[in-house]
Amino acid sequence: MDSELIQQIRNQARDLLESGAVKGIIGYERASDGLTARPFFAYEPDAVERLIFDETCTHNLVKYLVDKKGERMAILAKPCDSRALNLLINEEQIKRDQVFIIGVYCPGVVETSWNQKGQTQQPRCQTCQLLKPVVYDFLAGQEPARQPEAEVYSDIEEIESMPTAERRAFWLEHLGRCIRCYACRQVCPGCYCPECFAEQLDPAWVGIRIAPEENELWQTIRTLHLAGRCIGCNECERACPVDIPLSRLNRKLEKQVAQLFEFRAGLSPDEQPPFATFNKEERLGSEE
Amino acid sequence: MNSEYQPKIVGLLCNWCSYAGADMAGTSRMSYPPSVRIIRVPCSGRVDPLLVAKCFQQGADGVLISGCHPGDCHYNEGNYHTRRRFALLHNLLDYLGIPKERLRLEWVSASEGRIFSQKVSDFTNELAELGPRSEG
Repeated sequence: MDSELIQQIRNQARDLLESGAVKGIIGYERASDGLTARPFFAYEPDAVERLIFDETCTHNLVKYLVDKKGERMAILAKPCDSRALNLLINEEQIKRDQVFIIGVYCPGVVETSWNQKGQTQQPRCQTCQLLKPVVYDFLAGQEPARQPEAEVYSDIEEIESMPTAERRAFWLEHLGRCIRCYACRQVCPGCYCPECFAEQLDPAWVGIRIAPEENELWQTIRTLHLAGRCIGCNECERACPVDIPLSRLNRKLEKQVAQLFEFRAGLSPDEQPPFATFNKEERLGSEE
Repeated sequence: MNSEYQPKIVGLLCNWCSYAGADMAGTSRMSYPPSVRIIRVPCSGRVDPLLVAKCFQQGADGVLISGCHPGDCHYNEGNYHTRRRFALLHNLLDYLGIPKERLRLEWVSASEGRIFSQKVSDFTNELAELGPRSEG
């Protein structure tokens, strides 16, 4: 644990709370297993002593801001999480002047579960191109010395190269496990519709019967709703109780959007989303 | 291949061009396979990927989305949005194991009855060759 970094975060948080600049701080504290981290809301200046930051802080806290609309909050944001802030600012879900962003240089995070933490960085961190947050008011820590590997989509290409029937079997096996708890949606910073299509009753797009086809429909549309919007925080996959490789759906479209529209979500707060615009002359390769 | 097999196609046709094109094919007495079930939508831009995914879930062998030619949209730009959305949907369905050949986007104008009947025949033949969904 980098105690200097944590002290910087705590000092900044204390200043913000004591001056009344924000109502609360959204950060991380040590979980009760003494090893991993869990989200923490600090509302009193003395509570900031519980704030921490280390390689177990894998959660993307940005989703909480959607619930805190109208309240001035400060939030701890890793570089990947900061892209979600840009996304929500761009889509007018949060106001930039309502949020104080405590950005942190990120050394990369590891997989965690109760009382366990991985020894190596998560795959997404190994290829992460962002060393510092794309949006922040205060920046804590020091630039890490690591050199990111180039973004590769070898996990996606592996599935793309399977014969169709095998690919179908692969996905039906994984999606067949889905229990439609919708944890992937609840945890996703990009999924904030007050009424989700999955809960509409008339027409009931996603039926309540237990069937791989219903799961597949849910995941197909969830993925498409995040096309050009997914910022790759991988919270959906972390939250999934049945270990469906959801990143391999999201990253497929991320790859496609990068190829077709040279676009990556969340890098700037005033970018034009690819599906809000078009180019009359474009040829996208799939129409006659 | 079973010669009795007749694929089921859902045709999502825009009100202003392709639906009128299909109507033109009918009033001109052109024949095309009865494999297509036509659903009229206000614009090809109305075709939410959800509609297509639902069609496949409910057992369609193929889905045909058809609208005005680019530049001719009744609402000026609906079909440009369709084109972008379709590019991703097409790829994602293929990735999930629903082959690309089962989903088509075609531009058919109100005067192109012959082209509509031709395209439905081509699509039907192609799907018949692929066989029922369970075989790929």
